[in-house]
Amino acid sequence: MRTDPGLAGELRDLLAGLAGRPELQSADLDLPLFGAGIGLDSLTGTLLLREVHRRYGVDVAAEDLNLDALASLASLASFIEARRG
Amino acid sequence: MIVKCVVWDVDHTLLDGVFLEAGDEPPGADPAMMAVLAELSGRGILHAIASRNPPAVAEHVARVTGAVFVAAECGWDAKSDAIGRIADRLSLGTDAIAFVDDDPYERAEVSFARPEVMVLAPEEMTSAPGWPEFSPAVVTAEAARRSQLYLDRQRRQAAEREFGGSREEFLRWCQTEITIGPAGLADADRLAELSARTHQFNSAGKAITAAGFAELIAGDPARVLAVRLRDRFGDDGLVGTCVTETGPGGWTITLLAMSCRAMGRGVIDALLAWLIGAAAKAGARELAIPAILTPRNVPLRLALAAAGFRASEAEPPGEPGQRRAVFRRPAGPDGAADAD
Repeated sequence: MRTDPGLAGELRDLLAGLAGRPELQSADLDLPLFGAGIGLDSLTGTLLLREVHRRYGVDVAAEDLNLDALASLASLASFIEARRG
Repeated sequence: MIVKCVVWDVDHTLLDGVFLEAGDEPPGADPAMMAVLAELSGRGILHAIASRNPPAVAEHVARVTGAVFVAAECGWDAKSDAIGRIADRLSLGTDAIAFVDDDPYERAEVSFARPEVMVLAPEEMTSAPGWPEFSPAVVTAEAARRSQLYLDRQRRQAAEREFGGSREEFLRWCQTEITIGPAGLADADRLAELSARTHQFNSAGKAITAAGFAELIAGDPARVLAVRLRDRFGDDGLVGTCVTETGPGGWTITLLAMSCRAMGRGVIDALLAWLIGAAAKAGARELAIPAILTPRNVPLRLALAAAGFRASEAEPPGEPGQRRAVFRRPAGPDGAADAD
């Protein structure tokens, strides 16, 4: 499946803003969000999921038990892409 | 649902008049509301302001009422939005907020936009201290200090905005100290309060009472952990707990609970890392955390995912409409089996 390259970039800007970490604006879209990659913490993650729900109408937490969509920004973009109308 | 924070209008609600119309001598506090403010503060309930006045009003209201306000939203947009920003700043759910305003239009706007908020007129507020929503079962030492803890938190957040480095560097600079150890009998009240009051980082659908905790601790102190947090801005005291059952296959965490005040300070991650290590040291192969799934405890799921737990939906589901899952991971650090 082809992913809209713009969407992952949009999510990256969103994350950089929410985390207050402008350096993330140049992060690799395939970098793992959890752990050593981006180090997404639960506070920033919660804000990100809430904003994704508001902007794109996709409730990741309700649909994805293990939050695998949050593997990377690219995977989050694919997840949203596959679900929005 | 227990109310954790009351968001107050100012003109004709907390004040006996209108702030801006009074000229040089702004109006004093409404005596009935002053009594309610003090009574609720003593129970650990926070106060905040949402007012269509210039920001200077917050200082005036704090002075004439003698109360501590942990947040003030002064502006012209919808009060339902102001309530949302206050809830975010305090890391509270909006369903733990009550809103008091003398203006029926404002009350209707908030009721419509945020049906989960308890909306009240000032005259209703005089009897509110007698209601269950404003009557926490136990009032602990932490509760009586709660306003101060939130003020410490605001100074910490302001410092973080100014701070140049990463979150980790900031927490180090704060001299964040997380202490994890067996709970004592003296902790039982606070543990019960944590298990009942926390939602965003709470794995269990059911709270444990103080007597229940006392019994667990008396049986085996090592089964109940107390997590304490302090840094250069203040001492948050007991902010988290977990209850462990050891079985042949591994450890089962029957309750994991952390105060949302500790969110963003590395506490839940430290606790999970500690459990993963301690379980391995005790010879357990696996850690299992049964949890209910609610829209509120997504932060807990994020922390579990970050710590490498994988969930499977539990069968049968709990009570009707309640989703449950068991989160599992091997004990010991990742890749430990490959090492050596």
